Amino acid sequence: MSGSTDTSTRGVTPRVEVDHLTRSFGGVPAVRDASFAVAPGEIHGLCGHNGAGKSTVVKMLSGQLPPDGGRILLDGEPVDMNSRQAAQRRGIALVDQELSVVPELTVLENLLLGDIDAPLVNRRREAKARCRQLLDDIGLTNVRPGQLLSSLSIGERQLVEIAKALGQRARLVILDEPTATLAHAESERVFDAVRRVAATGCSVIFVSHRLAEVLALCDVVTVLRDGVSVATTPSDELTVDQLIVQMLGETPHRLEPGRPVDRSQQHALEIRHLEVPGVVEDFSLTAHAGRIHAIAGQVGSGASEVLRALGGLIPRATGAVELRGSAVPFRDPLRTAASGVAFVSNDRKSEGLFLDQTIAENLLATRLPAVGRMGILQAGAERRAARSLAELSRLPEARLGHTVASLSGGNQQKVFVGRCLGRDDVHVLLLDEPTRGVDIGGRAAIHALLRQAADAGMVVMFASTELDELLDLGDVIVTMRDGRVVNRYEGGTDGAQLMRDMTGGEVAA
Amino acid sequence: MTTAQQHNQQEASDVTQQNVTLSEPAPPAADRRWRPTPLAVGLTIVALAVIPFAVTTHRFLTWDNARAILASAAFVGITAIGATVVMIAGSAVSMATSQTATIVAMAFLATQQLGLPLAILLALACGVAITALQGLAIGYWDANPIVLTIAAGFAIAGFATWFSAGMPVYGKNDDYEVLNHTPLGIPISVYVMVGLALVVEWFLRRTIAGRQTYLVGENRRAARAAGLPVGRVTLIAWAILGLCVATTAIFLGSFHTLANYQTGGTLTLDAVAAVLVGGTAITGGRGSALRTLGGTILISVISDILLIRGYSTGAQMLVKGLLVLAVVIVVNVPSRRASR
Repeated sequence: MSGSTDTSTRGVTPRVEVDHLTRSFGGVPAVRDASFAVAPGEIHGLCGHNGAGKSTVVKMLSGQLPPDGGRILLDGEPVDMNSRQAAQRRGIALVDQELSVVPELTVLENLLLGDIDAPLVNRRREAKARCRQLLDDIGLTNVRPGQLLSSLSIGERQLVEIAKALGQRARLVILDEPTATLAHAESERVFDAVRRVAATGCSVIFVSHRLAEVLALCDVVTVLRDGVSVATTPSDELTVDQLIVQMLGETPHRLEPGRPVDRSQQHALEIRHLEVPGVVEDFSLTAHAGRIHAIAGQVGSGASEVLRALGGLIPRATGAVELRGSAVPFRDPLRTAASGVAFVSNDRKSEGLFLDQTIAENLLATRLPAVGRMGILQAGAERRAARSLAELSRLPEARLGHTVASLSGGNQQKVFVGRCLGRDDVHVLLLDEPTRGVDIGGRAAIHALLRQAADAGMVVMFASTELDELLDLGDVIVTMRDGRVVNRYEGGTDGAQLMRDMTGGEVAA
Repeated sequence: MTTAQQHNQQEASDVTQQNVTLSEPAPPAADRRWRPTPLAVGLTIVALAVIPFAVTTHRFLTWDNARAILASAAFVGITAIGATVVMIAGSAVSMATSQTATIVAMAFLATQQLGLPLAILLALACGVAITALQGLAIGYWDANPIVLTIAAGFAIAGFATWFSAGMPVYGKNDDYEVLNHTPLGIPISVYVMVGLALVVEWFLRRTIAGRQTYLVGENRRAARAAGLPVGRVTLIAWAILGLCVATTAIFLGSFHTLANYQTGGTLTLDAVAAVLVGGTAITGGRGSALRTLGGTILISVISDILLIRGYSTGAQMLVKGLLVLAVVIVVNVPSRRASR
């Protein structure tokens, strides 16, 4: 349809040109050298593994972050945008996971928000006609302007958001992971809409983890790796496998053969037919003590929800979970914890630590009954427990009295994980993204803690999207996509294979 | 280009600085914020401002006046100690405190013929039951404490009016007079206030349930995910409030020798003011019963000075309000920043 796949066309000024952009955070480079160009009416895919710099590039393009170096040219003119509003005024619209539409307002009202063509005093009929036009343009023919936004599905809300961007006369629409949480049919509607948008001459940048989708939808794909744009290729010359090679480079990502299982600790966590309506379909796994089980899946794949459900935080989950032959009541965190399951959330600030309390208090938070007698805390036992835990989780003992808020992200995470260690009553350790926001050193330390926990006889299970982490740590790796298990590996896999499973390439039978 | 160079240079120095901190195993202890600072500074300023007034106020520095200050602090103080626990537990405040005190005072006086010990027990049980029931809904079903207690307050006030038929309730005898005694010249209520503050402080610091109160109050979601007994902890906090309100109500009934719809008076907001001036964070997770005791006495001292100096009730309320406002700003603004 939009045939201008050749970005090097001399005669046509690109709609947007990213010219040697760089950006670092506190000395750590996130984007080192990103350059690509998007022609008018082109759908341009932007791919890269976690930490490749995609979201930083998107933030710079949408005015949320100023670049350290390099230029952004819009229709040949260098632009300098210092806010999302400034970018919007120049015709760059961003649609991301955090939708900016207001559920309590009608579709019409949402479209009028921020509409530069809307007159100060609205003429209702005109506004309605314009709204109808915008909705039709995007394929939302079944939606009425007067409908409350909250009555629409998430996918439809996203389409309204795109329609809103069009209403603001966007020249470039950036879609950041728009389909991550959408079901297949809904994704198709979004793609239709994107194609219609591009047909009007508006350019689209499409950021996604789902590589098959990217290839089907986009005209051109730029791949970022370690903050550098490594390739910009027309999509009809690419396969998912080639894309994965571009994303991962030539570095070998291999899984070592499975570690020998200590047969003396044979008790296992039996998960049978775990379901979370609409998110996880029929997840079954026998997880043995002493081994680390990795669940690999992008946002929306259900990997995180499997762990949350096992941790008791999703009351509507169904299925059967057994530990050492007795059923785990997994719909109530209090009872789940009582049966020996500890859950480490991916959000340590709001669902994990008690930031204003001291490190010692955080380490002891879940084991107060163990350091008390008849409900009264024993000062000596408390001190001893805190010290030995600090040693176990490699935290400086001198800082036990400091607040957790004063620690770095890596040390905070150590406190969070350490809280679950060294306890006789914890048999299963569940971790959702155990090293999110943790620097390299902290990461290694946490990986060591997890290995230590497994060696001590715990069933360890974590969800992650990071290939290195999955391959380094997982004795067993389960890949998930769209709420379903794709494959299960015990050794004999590599990063490319995992990536294929997670992103929707051809599934090896 | 010079600006760019400067920028780069600055960045380079940032990098080196960061590397230094990274390679350092334990950052110096000095970076730990000494928490009471803003509050301590604020209260020191208030105290310094109060002292000249106090010293220059005729008859302020007398034993009699000190007793009067303590006596006037006791009723609110006892309730405020309970309100501290609820606030630490993250359930904000009870808006039904005055109404609960009213109905308990009525129950206390109406059951006098059963003998004083039994009447006291019944009154305490009544206060605990009413308040713990609200705690149950807040702890186990996540009811909004403010909305729930406003509704409960109306219901309790309605019940009190129906129960008393709008008439004052008197005791069948005056055994309760013993509660108005003043051993060593100090009212029993003051001893009870100080004793309760110590016991509750010990509960908060040294018991499992007490420690869990801070955890639940600081981060309810985290406490839930960690498998802490959020419901039970909340329920206990509210039961303690009920016990304290009932104790206040018993003294109120004894002191006034009657109970009517006005007995509870402005207890609700007075108690909240005392807790806040004591520096307990309204968002939960931080506070202390002893500090609340201090807050109660500070408010009482200031009211006393204004009273002796002949200021109107309005002026007294105004000063009290400004004090609460100042402390809330000092305590809660930095805590917001820290939890960002």
